[in-house]
Amino acid sequence: MSTIAVEALTKRYGTVTAVSDLSFELAPGRITGFLGPNGAGKSTTIRLLLGLAAPTSGRATINGRPYRELRDPLRRIGALTCPDVFHPGRSGRTALRIAARPARIPGQRVEEVLELVGLGGAAHRRAGGYSQGMRQRLALAAALLGDPETLVLDEPANGLDPEGVHWLRGLLRGLADQGRTVFVSSHLLAELAQTVDDVVLINHGRLVAAGPMGDLLGRAGAASLKSFFLDATSPDAPPAHPAPTRARSLS
Amino acid sequence: MRSLVSAELLKLRSTRSAWIPLAAALALAVVAVLASTTAAGPDATPHLSPATLPGLLRGSGGQFVDGAVLLCWIVLSAGEFRHRTAVTTFLAEPNRLRVVSAKLIAAALTGAAVGLLAEALSAATSAAALSAHHVPLAWSQPGVLGAVTAVPLLAALFGMLGAGLGLLLRHTAAALGLALMWVFVIEGIIPALTHEPGIIRWLPEAAANAVLHGASPAATTLSAGAALAVLAGYAAVLAGAGAALTVRREIGTTTG
Repeated sequence: MSTIAVEALTKRYGTVTAVSDLSFELAPGRITGFLGPNGAGKSTTIRLLLGLAAPTSGRATINGRPYRELRDPLRRIGALTCPDVFHPGRSGRTALRIAARPARIPGQRVEEVLELVGLGGAAHRRAGGYSQGMRQRLALAAALLGDPETLVLDEPANGLDPEGVHWLRGLLRGLADQGRTVFVSSHLLAELAQTVDDVVLINHGRLVAAGPMGDLLGRAGAASLKSFFLDATSPDAPPAHPAPTRARSLS
Repeated sequence: MRSLVSAELLKLRSTRSAWIPLAAALALAVVAVLASTTAAGPDATPHLSPATLPGLLRGSGGQFVDGAVLLCWIVLSAGEFRHRTAVTTFLAEPNRLRVVSAKLIAAALTGAAVGLLAEALSAATSAAALSAHHVPLAWSQPGVLGAVTAVPLLAALFGMLGAGLGLLLRHTAAALGLALMWVFVIEGIIPALTHEPGIIRWLPEAAANAVLHGASPAATTLSAGAALAVLAGYAAVLAGAGAALTVRREIGTTTG
């Protein structure tokens, strides 16, 4: 059973359509890159998936249920939407304790994830004094709190130094190898090419391509993920998926 | 629900700008009693007598605590959107009505606890001050129990008013500005604007004063019970509107 399913998802803000009839499915045990130019609708899709915004039509589900209907959501899905979701006056440890408390996640797990993301020594410091990379690591720690089977990460490498990016790649691969579903949005195409198994590419809110990265690059005759991305999202590119777009499995 | 309320109280304990006003209000509760009693004596004006005690208990803790609890919960609830901590809050508990309920319960608990503490401090300070002036302490007189009950109840309602206003406006400065404007300007001019002088008694600040200081002889204020009910109505309306908008509105994550 797929962990994430997006079915004919549409979101309009007045006359602007941010996401249009978008459909795709993700399977466990794989890392899927979520690609698209700025304003393509990636962050909106992630917010719809996480119940932070309501779709105009269609649905996005985790194990068959919309996020808002999940019981104990932190143990099902871990999400990183933005590094700046912590009160600057609270310590990293307190910020995670606050996030953990509604799910009754014990303090021991808070310490574990702080160590896992390399913030054990800085956990007592205020989040407002953290660098962007440290805030990103704290947000990643929050996503990992419930030891979830699915991870949704919006630009997780933003602000990380090269060592941090390398560490993140290893972490995500390890999580996928444990059978978890990892869904990563990023603009760092060269880095993503070394990390992901599958790709979902959108533009103007619509699905452009979805499938295993090797298959997509091979069919398009692209030498790299970057050239595939640029060709598929150029203004001259033909619409790859005229509406209505059907859901497709990536595994 | 207990874990959600506990998370809200942890947010309060870990937010300096929220608990410092509460600490200041408790300090002022002591200072106000000292200020009232230092200049007075059995033969001076104001005259100190056993009947002074209820007034000291109502007046000293009440107003400072109400304002501090209101400020505290505006900062906490509107601050969720200012600092985008609402994202982690609603990811952990996507049932927004449960989150809003937890905030209101935590706000009421905060008010009640700080109100009781303020009364305890006022009572201890009053006892010391009155004893120093050789004024007998009459704890069983009418008015003492009323003061000790009214101050925490009122503070609990002001906590809910603050939480509701913060959720409704989602903007800390706007919510604080509106609260201050209401107390110092708006409530005062409403009777003139409406040409209804009697309307004042139904407004929040006047109702709070009626609870703290009792009905005036000219009957321009409500009775304490009616005033509490009016304030409960305002708290319910603000909390309900805040809850309705919180359930409906989107939670922003990025500016891009």
